[in-house]
Amino acid sequence: MSQSIEIDQRFENLRQELRRGSLPLAVLAALRVEHYGYTLRKTLAEHGMAIDEGTLYPLLRRLETQGLLVSQWREEDKRNKRFYRLSADGKSILKQLLTEWKSIHASLEDIF
Amino acid sequence: MELVDRYLHAVKFWLPRKQKHDIIAELSEDLRSQIEEKESELGRKLSDAEVEPILKRCGSPIAVAERYLPQRSLIGPALFPIYCMVLRWLFLYFLLPWFLLWLGIAIFSPDFQADHPGIGILGSLEPWWLACTHALFFDTLAFALLDRSQVRSQLVNTWNPRSLPAVRDPNRIPRSGTLFEITFSVATLALWLQLGAFHRTFHALGVTVILSSLWPYFFWALTVLSLASACLGCLNLSNPRWTPLSACLRLGIDCYCWGLVYWVCRAALLQSLAVDGLSSDKAAALVRSINSLMANSAIWVMAIGLLVMFFDVRRILRLRPIVEAK
Repeated sequence: MSQSIEIDQRFENLRQELRRGSLPLAVLAALRVEHYGYTLRKTLAEHGMAIDEGTLYPLLRRLETQGLLVSQWREEDKRNKRFYRLSADGKSILKQLLTEWKSIHASLEDIF
Repeated sequence: MELVDRYLHAVKFWLPRKQKHDIIAELSEDLRSQIEEKESELGRKLSDAEVEPILKRCGSPIAVAERYLPQRSLIGPALFPIYCMVLRWLFLYFLLPWFLLWLGIAIFSPDFQADHPGIGILGSLEPWWLACTHALFFDTLAFALLDRSQVRSQLVNTWNPRSLPAVRDPNRIPRSGTLFEITFSVATLALWLQLGAFHRTFHALGVTVILSSLWPYFFWALTVLSLASACLGCLNLSNPRWTPLSACLRLGIDCYCWGLVYWVCRAALLQSLAVDGLSSDKAAALVRSINSLMANSAIWVMAIGLLVMFFDVRRILRLRPIVEAK
């Protein structure tokens, strides 16, 4: 019983590690359309890439610091919200990352 | 919303000053959006009990704030293993022997016990505690400074496989050491046999030394020791690798050697002394001083002997089987 829990735990750790690596790509791809944090989380969740706020907001901040995103505080529904979208650099990097992703996917398919 | 405000306030406390406002505004917006969505689903305001799971899922305030902070460490992963190694060495080869020596003196020395009665004996350990804290402090400080200097990048980036240390065979016995041991044992034996076991009086350079009746025992004991050392040296010369047999013989000879030295220190071998121009009273006082000094140094001899035996036992436990080349 405990061995089964341990295997589940190990699988869960590896699964999260695998998904964590793909999160920046998912976020950049989703931000081809402008979003604020909450709607971005919902969009990602709808596509099966659920991400908690504690992970998403620091990631957005990091991507913005790297110049891949631009953000703007705007009022919507009487509340201030920070909207994010891809920058010009972000678009170029996203294109390269997608190519890399496809290459990794093809390689893994080849190995499987 | 009081719970949300309290939560945000707690997160804010841990955030970097410049980003506090921005991060809290964004997090607040997200939490309030989640709550509003839930409220529109239920058609009523959420109670505190219903808000609580939303905040708990978000994570503890310090954990949430930590994700916004840059990763910081006093000593980075490149130098941390070396830092640990230095600390281990300091403990094993400096602090632990010191402590064991203190323990030996505290248990076996009546003079020391008289100087530090009762619980006061622990007070004599103060320099050791001070050395512990200094070792920890200066090791940490040195490595923290190194981590921020150019040394770290040199260590990580400018290395060369050729500059790495050669692989050392832990079972190999250096021939130079073996040759030295044989030469020393044979030379000692040659000089020793000239002295002889049956004379207890020796004259040299105007000094007459008379040894106690225990002298013949010591003479033969040392002769046996020199012979045993020479034999082990020859064995090691023919097979310059530690084997269970040679390592056990080494331990046996070292036990015997340090036991003998300890016995000599306490045996008061020097019976009397006559020096030209020195009165008999002064010569007797000198004999007493020499014997007393030797007796007092017995504890140090025991400490060194125990240390030598510790390394001998460790060698036996660490002996690796010889892998035959196929």
